[in-house]
Amino acid sequence: MKFSFTSDQQQFAAGLREMLEREFTAAHLRQVWETGAGHDAALWSRLAEMGVLSMMLPEADGGMGGSFVDTILLIEELGRAAVPGPVIETMTVGALALAGTPWAAGVADGSVAVTAALMGERYVPHTAVAGVVLLSDHDSIRAIETSQLQLTEVEGIDHGRQLVTLAGTETAGVFVGSDRETATDAGSLAAAAYLLGLSSRMLAIAGDYARDRRQFGQPIGSFQAVKHLMADALLKVEFARPAVYRAAWSHATDSDTRARDVSMAKSLASDAAQKAARSALQVHGAIGYTWECDLQLFMKKAWALMPAWGSASYHRRRVSDAVLGPR
Amino acid sequence: MYLTPRQIRYAPMDLTETADEQAFRAEARAWLEANVPSAPLPSFDTAEGFELHRQWEAKLYEGRWSAVSWPVEYGGRGADYVKWLIFEEEYWRSGAPGRVSQNGIFLLGPTIIEVGTPEQKARFLPAMAKSDEIWAQAWSEPDAGSDMASIRSKAALSDDGSEWIINGQKIWASRAAWADWCFGIFRTDPESSRHKGLTFILMPLDTPGITVRPIAQLDGDTGFAEIFFDDVHVPIENTLGGVGNGWSVAMATAGFERGVSLRSPARFNVAVDRLIKLWIKIGDPDDDTMRDAVTDLWMQAEGYRLHTYMTVTKLLEGGHIGSESSLNKIFWSEMDVRAHELALQLLGPDAERIDGPHERWVDGFLFSLSGPLYAGTNEIQRNIIADRVLNLPRG
Repeated sequence: MKFSFTSDQQQFAAGLREMLEREFTAAHLRQVWETGAGHDAALWSRLAEMGVLSMMLPEADGGMGGSFVDTILLIEELGRAAVPGPVIETMTVGALALAGTPWAAGVADGSVAVTAALMGERYVPHTAVAGVVLLSDHDSIRAIETSQLQLTEVEGIDHGRQLVTLAGTETAGVFVGSDRETATDAGSLAAAAYLLGLSSRMLAIAGDYARDRRQFGQPIGSFQAVKHLMADALLKVEFARPAVYRAAWSHATDSDTRARDVSMAKSLASDAAQKAARSALQVHGAIGYTWECDLQLFMKKAWALMPAWGSASYHRRRVSDAVLGPR
Repeated sequence: MYLTPRQIRYAPMDLTETADEQAFRAEARAWLEANVPSAPLPSFDTAEGFELHRQWEAKLYEGRWSAVSWPVEYGGRGADYVKWLIFEEEYWRSGAPGRVSQNGIFLLGPTIIEVGTPEQKARFLPAMAKSDEIWAQAWSEPDAGSDMASIRSKAALSDDGSEWIINGQKIWASRAAWADWCFGIFRTDPESSRHKGLTFILMPLDTPGITVRPIAQLDGDTGFAEIFFDDVHVPIENTLGGVGNGWSVAMATAGFERGVSLRSPARFNVAVDRLIKLWIKIGDPDDDTMRDAVTDLWMQAEGYRLHTYMTVTKLLEGGHIGSESSLNKIFWSEMDVRAHELALQLLGPDAERIDGPHERWVDGFLFSLSGPLYAGTNEIQRNIIADRVLNLPRG
């Protein structure tokens, strides 16, 4: 029994965090929002060059050949920075489904971004910036180049996650796999890890504000009401964390309890993100309710990802089927 | 069983048990199956129950299961934390009695092992492991509850320096009604205030000048007591961790209590398993709200288990538990209350019966309500998290 990450895994994540703190600040994220680019092409190349995007892609495809355990801390860091674009889709679902296909090399070198709609999504995220979209027919997965599809834009709340509806999907694309559940579990788990990082960031932003902002002659963070609000949010985040890490192990080892463990992770991480966003906003008071306040960039990402890849209640039901028996 | 730096660097996460861990689990399970009393013992907060629990502890000691994580020389097995958790899982799963020795074996024992003198280790640990001596804790005072640093009970040095002479009053001293010894912190520097000038002292509860007045708790049993000290003479050798260091010694004990040892996850996994069985037996299959609530509880108990395994791996790799132990204390105590509330809700009209047919959930409910109050209220824990984990300014 050893429930920890190796120093290599931790160092790689720490390196990614440093890079993102330096090269992808909230100001960069705001720029992506304001230009309507949907992602940051320079950052994407940087992530490809570091091997982040291809961590789960087999070495034979030019990837790093890592497992979900090697990848989970990286996704958490991407969430902490609210990296825009189809990053979790490409790294996990994309790398798994496109291994061994002609697109794999593009995933590794950053030239092919991948998005996915494998759970009956009405709106498909990131399609405008992705080269390939993965769709499902029952349990099988098809890969379609987005250039073959008609996209109709839909405006969502998170401008780092542009949405479209798709037409022309009926016959297009090629079969790339028959294990939809492994793919959707990968997407759900990646979303959970990303939400964990986002939650930590929102609490960090709220903590900075609570130390800085003074009322009644003292920092608002010295008031017990504020302390307890933030402590409760931290509690949710810190007890979602081991569930996310365990699900990574279950996915990596194809455990019998993978479905339950992934759903537990997504359910807890979604609830934690909701609590973190709500608490961080409350700590900020009126300034948090402005467009200017960076907190909104992170809250909106959280609100968009909470229902994505299965909502907390969808996943809770999946856990209850495993634990209490099917309804 | 500690990992070397090289293993830490290269050993990947592995959530399966090693062959050695599996063998340890099998050994514990077999012993418990053969030895756990077939009927529950009376509450250890009654005179009769206390002695029966003491006998059970002696039996545990004979099998060398009373203090598995202690060094072998003091009656333990030198088990690492993972094995300790495995033992706890088997222990609670077996339906074995509650641990009347909790204060000693899980709180004071590790502190003595860490800061005690060789003489103190030899004097106290074996008797503690056998439960020849059962310990009460004496922290709180009438005016020092959550604000523990305002302790006023005094210990003054005798003229020849060989004894402490103690005067004052402690309250909410758990197990004190029937225990043999107590440990607590006392103000040894009369000029001091707050966290300074306190000293950690051990003494037998039958020392002349000590009066123990049991307090009936919410369930009517006397699980805690007031302790009055009137010119109580205690040998200076019973000072633990040095004169004036009482606060830091106590905090080491309290941190351990909150962090790992006080409520091992197995207790909650077993309680939630019972809740699930109850739901399957009497729950309304169409009641999705209750189904979701039971599932949430399962996730919390499982989350707590996983969190603990992460914590002990960190300890085994040379890390430390800091103030984040306060997170654990809030988490398990509130989860425990919630589990029992749900069970009572499921039981409906049977919930209020204290002689009821459903495994005495109401007793557990009353007990669970003490969790958010003791070992530092959950409000104090939230302050600690805010100040030391989130680095918010002190109020």
